[in-house]
Amino acid sequence: MITFKRDKKEEEDGGGNPFQNLEKTTVLQEARTFNNTPVNPRKCAHILTKILYLLNQGEQLGTTEATEAFFAMTKLFQSRDVILRRLVYLGIKELSSLAEDVIIVTSSLTKDMTGKEDLYRAAAIRALCTITDSSMLAAIERYMKQAIIDRSPAVSSAALVSSLHLTSVSSDVARRWANEAQEALNCDNVMVQYHALGVLYQARKADKHAVIKLVAKLMRTSPKSPYAACMLIRMAYKLLDEVDEGEELIGFIESCLRHKSEMVVYEAAHALVNLGRSGAREIGPAISVLQLFCGSPKPALRFAAVRTLNKVAMSHPAAVTACNLDLENLITDSNRSIATLAITTLLKTGAESSVDR
Amino acid sequence: EPTLYTVKGMAILDNDGNRILAKYYDKNVFPTSKEQKTFEKNLFSKTHRANAEIIMLDGLTCVYRSNVDLFFYVMGSSHENEVCIIRLCQVFQILSWNINLLGLFQLILMSVLNCLYDSVSSILRKNVEKRAVLDSLDIVMLAMDEICDGGIILDADATSVVQRVALRTDDIPLGEQTVAQVLQSAKEQLKWSLLK
Repeated sequence: MITFKRDKKEEEDGGGNPFQNLEKTTVLQEARTFNNTPVNPRKCAHILTKILYLLNQGEQLGTTEATEAFFAMTKLFQSRDVILRRLVYLGIKELSSLAEDVIIVTSSLTKDMTGKEDLYRAAAIRALCTITDSSMLAAIERYMKQAIIDRSPAVSSAALVSSLHLTSVSSDVARRWANEAQEALNCDNVMVQYHALGVLYQARKADKHAVIKLVAKLMRTSPKSPYAACMLIRMAYKLLDEVDEGEELIGFIESCLRHKSEMVVYEAAHALVNLGRSGAREIGPAISVLQLFCGSPKPALRFAAVRTLNKVAMSHPAAVTACNLDLENLITDSNRSIATLAITTLLKTGAESSVDR
Repeated sequence: EPTLYTVKGMAILDNDGNRILAKYYDKNVFPTSKEQKTFEKNLFSKTHRANAEIIMLDGLTCVYRSNVDLFFYVMGSSHENEVCIIRLCQVFQILSWNINLLGLFQLILMSVLNCLYDSVSSILRKNVEKRAVLDSLDIVMLAMDEICDGGIILDADATSVVQRVALRTDDIPLGEQTVAQVLQSAKEQLKWSLLK
């Protein structure tokens, strides 16, 4: 039996993982194949996967090594193979911080991002923006603005997300592209809506009145995307800290307790119970929702609910008492984090009567 | 502060807790690869027995799912909306299911070959699920890249993610759900017949 086990182990180590025991120097040597013409897509994709795997495992590449690999990789743009091309984009992103002169691929990527294939375009935009510095920004600005309002959700999302990343290169990117983001906000796609809202908030967050206007407008239409709705609740929650009159904002967050997406309902309940100004009356409906979540078959929901209740128990122990029975049920929960949180919450709210039980 | 940067990291570990793939998106969270791997070992040791879906560890909310010999993790900050990140983890798992499909054809071939030439014991040692992912490692990498971009959720819909990465359309008609279901049941049967 013991020998069998060892055999099994060896088999797994040797034959189980074709990527185990890769040598960095060997793989980098293999990367020279990239220079051969015509390109062999299958073989090159496999080698590139090995390089990406090594990097992912935490292997360190020196600047020279990385630059050599990067330049060899640029030769693969000759091939039209889809998988290979997408892997090249990944490679560009992974090596962009390690290799020198990475801007060499700018024109190839710009060509791909303005080409016909949507799947290329989205991925090319994201790769291009990782190698873009402040001096290149002006050159790609026109393309980015077009991409944000593109009819393909993948392209639009890629451009919006990339513009958020680019704010670390140039802080006013979001503001300069806000008009396009505003247009993308009307898109039917839930992710595009979410990403557009992120860019708009980034563009306006320094100006309180602009944020109030944005939130007020969106509250009326109520975004379809649950992600965007969560973001909007967070924006409203933050505003409540800064404005005096917030009846409308609170009303909006309360209305989100009836949203059909659990994620939004939880976000709203969480926001309501954490508002410093709210009294027992305001948090009542939110507590009821969290109480419902305590009985959910999904561990994540129970966890989220009990964690929030645990926090509220500090400020409003009386309001949480209503949930005591549900919390007692959670003491034996198979998830230990949930059980622990339930116990500590009960310690804050519980009376002698519940200790007996 | 409202932000789109919600994901701190994603990881796929094998059943020994070794990293198959992992990405960390926040430079302040586990900056070195050594710290990352220590965290992964710790995470694995706390989660591989209990199938409890969610855990708090090192100030991060980690949601997880397992699939035979694979463990999928998505990490968010402790202020993050748990329901939102568990959604990502589901996408991850459904995706792995599709990735297994990508490897399925090799799997069928392998089993036929084994039936003919090899003893059942040798089949028993093959670790099908992890292998399937390793066989399609390039696609898995592309999929991770489509789910999360630098910490921002790019796409949280498995069908759409698969469409964005399922480039080997000549192999599998992924759009046809019925075909996929048939393949899945075939795979299940095959797996159980091998494990018997």
